[in-house]
Amino acid sequence: MPNQAILLVEDNPDDEALTLRALRKNNIKNDVVVAHDGVEALDYLFGTANHAGRDPNLIPQVVLLDLKLPKLDGLEVLRRLRADERTKLLPVVILTSSNEEQDRLKGYDLGANSYVRKPVDFNQFIEAVRQLGLYWLILNERPPLRRA
Amino acid sequence: MSVQTSHPILHPTLLESGPLALAHSQDSRPEQTALEIAQRAVLNILEDFAAEKSDLQLGQRATLNIFEDFEAEKSRMAGAQRAALNILEDFTVEKTLLQAAQRSALNILDDFSAEKAHLHETQRAVLNILDDFDQENVKVQRANAQLEKEITDRQRAEEETQRANKELLAANRELEAFSYSVSHDLRAPLRSIDGFSQALLEDHADQLDSSAKDHLQRVRLATQRMSVLIDDLLNLSRVTRTPMRWERLDLSALARSIAEEVQKADPTRHVEFVIADDLVAEGDWRLLRVVMENLLGNAWKYTSAHERARIEFGASQHNGRRAFFVRDDGAGFDPRYADRLFGAFQRLHGPNEFPGSGIGLATVQRIVRRHGGEVWAQGAVERGATFYFTL
Repeated sequence: MPNQAILLVEDNPDDEALTLRALRKNNIKNDVVVAHDGVEALDYLFGTANHAGRDPNLIPQVVLLDLKLPKLDGLEVLRRLRADERTKLLPVVILTSSNEEQDRLKGYDLGANSYVRKPVDFNQFIEAVRQLGLYWLILNERPPLRRA
Repeated sequence: MSVQTSHPILHPTLLESGPLALAHSQDSRPEQTALEIAQRAVLNILEDFAAEKSDLQLGQRATLNIFEDFEAEKSRMAGAQRAALNILEDFTVEKTLLQAAQRSALNILDDFSAEKAHLHETQRAVLNILDDFDQENVKVQRANAQLEKEITDRQRAEEETQRANKELLAANRELEAFSYSVSHDLRAPLRSIDGFSQALLEDHADQLDSSAKDHLQRVRLATQRMSVLIDDLLNLSRVTRTPMRWERLDLSALARSIAEEVQKADPTRHVEFVIADDLVAEGDWRLLRVVMENLLGNAWKYTSAHERARIEFGASQHNGRRAFFVRDDGAGFDPRYADRLFGAFQRLHGPNEFPGSGIGLATVQRIVRRHGGEVWAQGAVERGATFYFTL
């Protein structure tokens, strides 16, 4: 799979648009799948409900996970991903507004690979996305897949 | 006394004529018989006489015995008399003794009177004490009642405190939820405003004149300032929310590490840091790091208009307490406004002079007070500032 997808879990359409813009600005050409709440994110990853029929062995390169989400919040999504053999080692980057200590602590505790705070300054945001893309899409060697 | 053996009746002539008369009567029968009778009579008399003599002897002996007895009695009497005299003598002694005893008895009675008087006094004293005791008892009872009331009051106050504490905890939880919400939700719209302003500037640059571009730049700057404000506000509230963890801290090492950081952020400046060694204090590491970051950061910021600057961290004595200080030779401040330095959102410089939100020193003050210390400042315009704090 030469062009593995990025799963963006984001409920705010402005943030979605800005994140896509920042990825484009950085010439990141990977497919971007957007899930607008926690339930949709899990459905996509496990091929259930609206995503029934999708091959769950097609695992994204990285998940960009917001924390404040409708239905299931980001930390609960992370907990369920880590509890499942198929997604246990999937790289997850928490990308969120807050740098509340309790969020960071719980995020890492549940097995997040990174924690990035979305800067208000859009230029800083572009720079953050550039570095994320460079690291997770190019530098980082992803773990071997465990087929279901 | 001699014993007379001769019987007064037995005259010797009679005794000589007796046998003779008897001889006469033997010559003739009738006469003989008469003689014999007389003889017998004399014999009887003689016998009687002998008996009398014996009786007399007995009486004599008895009389002698009586005399002897009398002597013994006399001797005994003399003895008794002597004994009586002795007794009388003894009686005199006894009388003296008795008199002495009487005197001492009188003395004792005198003493007893004194004692009795004493006893009265003692009795009065005891009564007074009992009176006092009664009064004391009343007082104690009153105090007891007061104490009981105080205990009840205290229990009520304790309940009140517990209730207030519960309310405070609830308020704290609410504040935490509020802060959490602020940190997540207040920043998101700012990101949109800034991001899309930037998008306008980039994507529609050809449709925007310079004035429109300037407006958009101002919008972006304002959102970024607001973002800093929100962060500072959150930090300020975090300072009072987070529980304290006390430990021993090397403030000198902390100051050195912060100095390194600020120098790395702007290596073009010429600032000399003078940091005293081994300044150790007890406190919360994260909170005191915020204090040091703010004070050293301010010193760095307010010396930025000078070509060369000197920033010092040290300790001195103030009213018997050790005060740490951060001193710079920068812009300083007008001491007339010194009391406004530590108020939230209070600034003595315009944003064009020195940027800032006016929350840093308010945060410093909160942290220092949470440590039980005080913070104050000395300075003059363009002659630097010194910020002191105790812990």
